[in-house]
Amino acid sequence: MNEKPILAAKRLTKIYGKKSLEVKALDGVNLEINRGESMAIIGKSGSGKSTLMHILAFLDTPTSGVIEINGKNATKLKTRQVNRLRNRRFGFVFQQFFMNARDTVLNNVMLPLKIAGIRKSERKRRAMEVLEIVELTDKAKTRANDLSGGQKQRVCIARALVNNPAVIFADEPTGNLDSVTGAAVENLLFKLNKEKGITLIIVTHDADLAARCDRQIYLKDGKIIKSPVSSGVKTVSPPGKRGVKKGGRI
Amino acid sequence: MKLLDIIKSANANLLRNKGRTFLTILAVFVGSFTIILTSGIRTGVNSYIDTQMNNAGGENVLEISSSAMSEAMEGSMMGGSSAPKKYDPSRSPISTTGMAITGEQLNKARKINNIESVSPFIMTRMTSMIPIGVAIKYAVGVNGEKYEFDVRSSIDGVNLDIREGTKLDNQTKERQIAIGMDYVAAFGFKDDKDAIGKELTIYVLDRGRPGKLVPIKAKIVAVLNKSILTMSGGSVNDSLARAMLDAASQNLQDNFRQMYTMATAQLKPNLSDAELDKIKDQLKEIGLSGMTAEEEVGMIKAFFDAIILVFTIFGGIALLAASIGIINTLFMAVQERTREIGLMKAMGLGRSKIFLMFSIEAISLGFWGSALGVGVAYLVKMILNPLAADTFLKDLPGFNLMKFDLVLLLLLVALVMAIAFLAGTLPARRAARKDPIEALRYE
Ligand SMILES: Nc1ncnc2c1ncn2[C@@H]1O[C@H](COP(=O)(O)OP(=O)(O)OP(=O)(O)O)[C@@H](O)[C@H]1O
Ligand SMILES: [Mg+2]
Repeated sequence: MNEKPILAAKRLTKIYGKKSLEVKALDGVNLEINRGESMAIIGKSGSGKSTLMHILAFLDTPTSGVIEINGKNATKLKTRQVNRLRNRRFGFVFQQFFMNARDTVLNNVMLPLKIAGIRKSERKRRAMEVLEIVELTDKAKTRANDLSGGQKQRVCIARALVNNPAVIFADEPTGNLDSVTGAAVENLLFKLNKEKGITLIIVTHDADLAARCDRQIYLKDGKIIKSPVSSGVKTVSPPGKRGVKKGGRI
Repeated sequence: MKLLDIIKSANANLLRNKGRTFLTILAVFVGSFTIILTSGIRTGVNSYIDTQMNNAGGENVLEISSSAMSEAMEGSMMGGSSAPKKYDPSRSPISTTGMAITGEQLNKARKINNIESVSPFIMTRMTSMIPIGVAIKYAVGVNGEKYEFDVRSSIDGVNLDIREGTKLDNQTKERQIAIGMDYVAAFGFKDDKDAIGKELTIYVLDRGRPGKLVPIKAKIVAVLNKSILTMSGGSVNDSLARAMLDAASQNLQDNFRQMYTMATAQLKPNLSDAELDKIKDQLKEIGLSGMTAEEEVGMIKAFFDAIILVFTIFGGIALLAASIGIINTLFMAVQERTREIGLMKAMGLGRSKIFLMFSIEAISLGFWGSALGVGVAYLVKMILNPLAADTFLKDLPGFNLMKFDLVLLLLLVALVMAIAFLAGTLPARRAARKDPIEALRYE
């Protein structure tokens, strides 16, 4: 392919804290992600996976280094342009869902469109469209709080999808789900990747999920390493969420 | 995000915690309501006064009263001097009891340049009033010392604060007096008990024969506790009041005997301020004071405005407290919605929009609070105005207790909204500055 990578990171570093308490969350990361590709970011807890994803998604700024979009340096973009980029081109799925629990499913899905300033009838039409994709049309008027975990995550995928994004960033999308619902969510993501050509960037502890991606990036202490030590990738229960564990998945 | 959507979201957010929102609105309401009500009464009173002024005919009328009256009123307001004063012949004749306008004074006033005519109000209830028109030179007790002395008539129904002795009797022929406690020693009595039943001689100026004094004997029946009323003398019963009055006016021609509380002078039209001042000076020389209707109303207005100001300040303080309530409510809301704010920022909502959203929440609180204030004030007006017109404003037809100026009300609502906005800037700024990652990580 001659096409330029949709996202590229050059010599990214991210340092938290000052002087003696310095934490190098990212240490000279170089990375290229092609359009339509699915990529998994794997590594132990604290290795810098989320940090890398946040910087790639312009939710955070690197201490040094450059991010290119379609081959163009995007580090100097204005706040307004970055907001627009996140709103129009990116979709987000988080482990903890992050929904307005008291609001209806429909309203939650429409939120990015509302932020985009799209008028109400259009918002509704497009939201219903994506709810159909995630097979939750009948739950449109339900309060988000009243859904099961898997349904919640599908609503979040619908919300990530509603703006017709080029890239979906997913941080531990199945981390809070049991294996069956987790698999359904995975299938949905890969279906979107295949059918709509949406680039997937998935942060995960789950070796199976990682394996389904076109490419895997292994992070260790903020650096990309060539390939995992045989025992390097394995299911680790994500911190703070040990209650809902995935079963039988090694 | 469109402005309309931001406004809708802001108001929906307010409804999430109804109790807290209601209490905050209530605080804004209390302040706004107080200010609206007082300003309504102010407008009502002022518009009544203004129409009355227009009816009164304006500038070329002077209200005349005795200078002593205004001085005495000032004196009693200031608290007066408390110790008995020895009689000093070098001082001008005391006329503090001469609170009425006499016929002679009116005749003199008629001769003043630029005054066209003077018409007095005739006083009717002589006996139950202060023995006006009587100038007491001094009074003498058992030790022969002369003291300045000032008396008031005892009005039936008003209880004197008696230390020793009995009440004044307005039915008896006996000339009775009650003296202030400070005068017991001054007049040479041993103590309160000693004074009771003793005689006091009051020297009254004979107005028909200048310089001549008429002694009148009175029996002391009571010693009074110190008070503003008895500070510089005492109280007399009707017999004594009448006797003093007769003594003072026995040598006057009949038309001079009449006493008036007030008079109005018709002036030549279009007088300059200087000419007006000159008239007032000349009136002062004959012991009268003149005031234009405007000045008189101005005094009433100033007094009234001072009261209104106090209430407005109360309302202002309540509003200040309410704005602190708004700040608090919004800080709590920002804290609660940290994650939601982070999410919306992650989805590309700009800082200014988030600031706007919280500002609109603050402004809405201000709006609903003050709008409620306006509504309830209207309700109160609808109930209170007819009630007032039937009771304490019965004698003043056309007097609406409260009147609302629509522009002023809108201005107040706008002002409260502006205050609420200012109060909201602090929490709104905090919300706008939230880092999306920090916010999403927030537990
Ligand atoms: N705001 C911050 N301040 C200081 N250190 C931070 C901050 N955010 C992350 N770190 C540190 O940076 C490192 C990388 O964190 P990151 O969240 O990217 O890890 P991760 O690979 O996503 O881990 P996990 O799998 O547990 O989510 C960690 O050592 C973390 O403690
Ligand atoms: Mg992480």
